[in-house]
Amino acid sequence: MSTFTELPIDLGDDGRASLKDGPDPWAYETKELHPIEDTPEKLAKLLERDGQVRRVDFDPVTRVAGALAFHTVVDLESRQVLETDSMATLFRGYEIILKGRDPRDAIFISSRACGVCGGVHATTSALALEMAFGIQPPPMGTVARNLLLSLEYLYDHPLHLFLLAGPDFSEPAVRSTNPELWSKAQDTPAAGKAKHGFNTVAEIMTGMTPLTGSLYAEALHMTRVAREAYVLIGGKYPHPQTVVPGGISATIDASDMNEIMLRIGKFFDYGQKVVAIWDDIVEFFYEANPQYRHIGTRPKNLIETGQWDDPYAYDGTYANVDSWARQRWSTPGVIVEGKLVTTAMTAVNMGLEEFVEHSFYEEWTGNGKGPRGAQFPEDPLGNPLSPYHPWNKDTIPKPGSTSWKEKYSWSTAPRWDRKAMETGPFSRMWVTALSPPNDKTKFIEPTGHSLRMNVPGGALPKATVEWHVPEIWGAFERNRARANAILYTALIAYDNLLMGLDMMRKGETAVSTSYKVPKDFRMGAGFWGAGRGSLTHHLTMDDGVLENYQILTPSTWMASPKDPWGNPGPYEEAVLATPLLENFEKPEDFKGIDVLRTIRSFDPCMPCTTHIHTDDRVITREVITCACGVDDGSDHNHAHA
Amino acid sequence: MARTTTTRTPEVGVRRVLVGGIGYRFLRDESVGPYMADTLGERAPEGVEVEDFGYHPVGLHQNLTDREAYDRLVIVAAPRRGRAPGTITTYQWDRVLPSPEEIQVRVSEAVTGVIDLDGLLVVVGALGGFPDDVVVIEVEPGEEGWGDSFSELIASRLPAIEEAVWTSTLP
Repeated sequence: MSTFTELPIDLGDDGRASLKDGPDPWAYETKELHPIEDTPEKLAKLLERDGQVRRVDFDPVTRVAGALAFHTVVDLESRQVLETDSMATLFRGYEIILKGRDPRDAIFISSRACGVCGGVHATTSALALEMAFGIQPPPMGTVARNLLLSLEYLYDHPLHLFLLAGPDFSEPAVRSTNPELWSKAQDTPAAGKAKHGFNTVAEIMTGMTPLTGSLYAEALHMTRVAREAYVLIGGKYPHPQTVVPGGISATIDASDMNEIMLRIGKFFDYGQKVVAIWDDIVEFFYEANPQYRHIGTRPKNLIETGQWDDPYAYDGTYANVDSWARQRWSTPGVIVEGKLVTTAMTAVNMGLEEFVEHSFYEEWTGNGKGPRGAQFPEDPLGNPLSPYHPWNKDTIPKPGSTSWKEKYSWSTAPRWDRKAMETGPFSRMWVTALSPPNDKTKFIEPTGHSLRMNVPGGALPKATVEWHVPEIWGAFERNRARANAILYTALIAYDNLLMGLDMMRKGETAVSTSYKVPKDFRMGAGFWGAGRGSLTHHLTMDDGVLENYQILTPSTWMASPKDPWGNPGPYEEAVLATPLLENFEKPEDFKGIDVLRTIRSFDPCMPCTTHIHTDDRVITREVITCACGVDDGSDHNHAHA
Repeated sequence: MARTTTTRTPEVGVRRVLVGGIGYRFLRDESVGPYMADTLGERAPEGVEVEDFGYHPVGLHQNLTDREAYDRLVIVAAPRRGRAPGTITTYQWDRVLPSPEEIQVRVSEAVTGVIDLDGLLVVVGALGGFPDDVVVIEVEPGEEGWGDSFSELIASRLPAIEEAVWTSTLP
């Protein structure tokens, strides 16, 4: 498979790319959307079905920090999802806030883009600044950053698995949505008892019960363990004070390293336990009904920027980015239809585009001399860049009324080679599993179809835990992969700790390098990750201030609205493909658990999506399909009786 | 984590009161809580500690449960409730919690970065860490928007807010 099939880019074997000939090579034709509620004939036909077709809005806009709402049209008779629209309901605007500022401000300001994982923005920003400034941290500075990243994930993954997604698999949720499964779970022995201690699958589900469950409480505790270690380097969480261009501003001594080691070690046992728990949950559902494999399924299209730099390979330059990025613990790359099509960071970067046909933004048309007014027709190595690439993008908000046909989201539609991509702990594990091994395989062995993780012993004996690339990709596998990612992350952190201690022995204790903010024109990009997937920052600067700053978050990739060609974003696509396996007698009893499990499996970084169904009260609004209230600019949260 | 601005350590046997300001920074009048957390510590009488509660309430629950119990907690915030701007309302929290589903919603918000008074009361109230005696001081904000300055009205109310805090710390 050639690297790019949709973009007008020829990529040679030497990694150099050229633009294909043509009068307007980046041109594309848009496809008009025809939402059901805009089509009177379809609507009339559906309404004849006696209340079985319903519009179901998963809409938490009434809550404090609601940022995502999800609109669906479901046919409860055929148990199909007919239409989906993912709406990011907030404009965050960090790109605009950062324009014209001292570039060093970007670390602290961009961190505020997220209340869960601000630290990853800080580091991504530092990476982008290092590329622009032409500096690199000393090895220990990179180790410290790798540890910060690991500790964020060790906070984030348990939080997601047991506080946010877990409740959907807990006793109260299963009893109320599929009571037949609860009965079965009580009679199903738990295969992983030796690792987690639960006798039956039902006991696990009880343990996942919000507030009272033992697994819920344990996850709360483990998030604290990770945070305690994080603040030893970062100073505070989630917005660290010590991330700077060229490393970190805190000193690290052997005592800090030991304190961190103590806490990382707790995740070896915990990680084994969590894998066993999710294996038991996933296999139980699959055995009960193989259709569960298809909840939240979508094509195996994943993007990964790679993470955790090799302290001796990373030099911060774009010129060498392919080389140093391949030396990361997590390899950069793109998977299309299950096949790894590249591990070159320049190709990952080259394929990025963002579209705004269905977003509340204006098209930007640069005044540059490149095709379609692109300011930068090429990257710093001379590879072609799309006018829609983040380095060429301008954020121009255009608020308006919600229309499923026109614009309905504050998220852009990011695409790679014009395909919708998902990203997450699974993409970093998956790309690494398929990639040729580098020398970061001390505790983790990629096999081409799995990752073998050699876990040191604790209270549990040492073990090799293997995560397999799934045959069918869906919501349950996303959660299972995230459970494995706790071990994956802890082992990378362990490797970095050992490396850091070795540096200390050698006296390589410097953690930062000096720099001056350059006054000439510079470009920079940070390719890094957040708990829920790849994260990039692209900047240009001149005269000592930022000219442009673009943040592309994992949730932007996945909450994407439809693209110019009418193709759905990952949430939309996955929910559309989801069978409705919930057990309900009357349409009004439908809670949408399969839809919620699908959306939450992506670990959306939007507080609103964490709202579990609360009967008929706040967040799940069920209304009979109607065309009113959508295109008229009224509050889309309004429920029609 | 939380920033403690208190400079005094209470002696053994002295009544212990913790004052916490909660809210987001740089939201003008709505940032009364963090402002109080930043400024009151130096003037705190013996036995009174002042902290910034502007972090997620699950962390606050964990921090409070680690400590020796306080005799009273005083929380200062500026939630918008529709009262006349500048209104100062002091009340004893009634410890009434919503349904478990609603508590879970609040916990989810807390761990995903939401900081607000109501969430704090529910989450810490449910998970533990509060003493029996919790006093809340609410200030109705006036002007809305970004910035690090208060409206004239709220600026003129700062002495009264501080007075309400100190009064609330008394036995």
